[in-house]
Amino acid sequence: MAKIIVVTSGKGGVGKTTSAAAIATGLALRGKKTVVIDFDVGLRNLDLIMGCERRVVYDLVNVIQGEAGLNQALIRDKRVDNLHILPASQTRDKDALTSEGVEKILDMLGKDFDYIICDSPAGIERGAQLAMYFADEAVVVTNPEVSSVRDSDRILGLLGSKTRRAERNQDPVKEHLLITRYNPSRVDDGDMLNLDDIQEILAIDLLGLIPESEAVLRASNQGIPVTHDAKSDAGQAYTDTVSRLLGEDVPLRFHEFQKKGLLSRMFGGGRR
Amino acid sequence: MSLNVDRASMAFSFKGGMLPMTVMELTSADPERIREQLAGKLSQSPAFFQHTPVVLSVEKLDEPHLALERICAVCRAHKLLPVAVRGGTDPVKQSAWALGLGWFPPQEIKSRNLESVAAVSEAPVDKAEIPVGAASGGRIYRGTVRSGQQVSAQEGDLVVIGAVNAGAEVLAAGSVHVYGALRGRALAGIHGDHQAGIFCRELHAELLSVAGNYKRLEDIDPRLLGQSVQVQLSDDQLSIASLA
Repeated sequence: MAKIIVVTSGKGGVGKTTSAAAIATGLALRGKKTVVIDFDVGLRNLDLIMGCERRVVYDLVNVIQGEAGLNQALIRDKRVDNLHILPASQTRDKDALTSEGVEKILDMLGKDFDYIICDSPAGIERGAQLAMYFADEAVVVTNPEVSSVRDSDRILGLLGSKTRRAERNQDPVKEHLLITRYNPSRVDDGDMLNLDDIQEILAIDLLGLIPESEAVLRASNQGIPVTHDAKSDAGQAYTDTVSRLLGEDVPLRFHEFQKKGLLSRMFGGGRR
Repeated sequence: MSLNVDRASMAFSFKGGMLPMTVMELTSADPERIREQLAGKLSQSPAFFQHTPVVLSVEKLDEPHLALERICAVCRAHKLLPVAVRGGTDPVKQSAWALGLGWFPPQEIKSRNLESVAAVSEAPVDKAEIPVGAASGGRIYRGTVRSGQQVSAQEGDLVVIGAVNAGAEVLAAGSVHVYGALRGRALAGIHGDHQAGIFCRELHAELLSVAGNYKRLEDIDPRLLGQSVQVQLSDDQLSIASLA
């Protein structure tokens, strides 16, 4: 049975879709059969980030409403073999999603895949609740700023109450914190919340920390998940994140401000 | 242009208010028995009976029809002014309105509503809660109370072993104890217990309230922020003292 992981945050624009794409890619690169589902009906973006927007024929809503088969809607990733994408509908609205429909699709996918990554829409409405409802684990994406932390806190409350696991009194959804857009020098200047403050408020395990990086925007615009950019700090940070998701113990990187040494200043250092 | 003009021509404005109110909790519907008891009280403390407004609470009565008019007359004869009725059946509500009195829903149901709102919108609160002894009726909540969640103890104290985050709300009929950071709202003595207090390991509360007397974060001495404190009521003022 596949493990269902929801990537969620409450707040918009913090990097849910980027993270969902990067984590799904990372899992697939590690040999796990993975499918990533876009739950953001009406505002689909995942296909762009995954670079498969020209190959979308059918979508999640078509499958739920029986207008297409699941295999017709699944898009095979061009770069990694065992990665598939199930896009959202751009023309419908979120009411087209039904709990029974989503459950049916997840059950079908569960037979073929190791991991199902659900890319949640922002907010706490129906779309977001359906994306998290069936989850076994949750990756809560948080930016180092007060409003994002509060929204994540809200989402954590919902994960503890409005999920199938909570309603059936099963083991709770395993919650992971993923901090994105972390800029250690701005943290040192006091412009951003620091890692410890965020962890203290949210009180869940840290899965990963993604530094603010030019590589992320570049990757989004090119439609290549940043995990493929192995030279970039963000790409490496997502690779670490995936390793931790698979239960490996990987030391935290990119959380401290590195003053550039003479050599790296002369030779330009690593790619950021 | 029009703002000032409008304000000048306004006959009134509505304002929310919390006024102290005496609730007369009826345990008998018999006007004669009420009269006897009132007469006794009047001789003991005549100062109290100065056309004091009271709310007649009939929650504890199990009578579909009340001699409300007679009860009110008895009250007035003893210089108590019934202003509203709390609880009771629909006929009671109708007759209260007919007598020009206000009507409040019973408090029990109100608190139940609060709980069910909390349950619907949030937290399977019961899972993390263990009742502390049947007598005290308090609650222990283990874990972080998160933004948007509400945890309440309708009787006794509420003990939170964990933090109360910004946007969360903890309420208790008795005291509120937070073994962690208090960043949200804490309301103790929600049924009017002036002896209740709020205790926390790290004060960052958005709002502190004991028996309806409250302080906002802005009103709290910044030197107390981050400290381990106790909050009590003295002379209807919240006093916050460091426990360190």
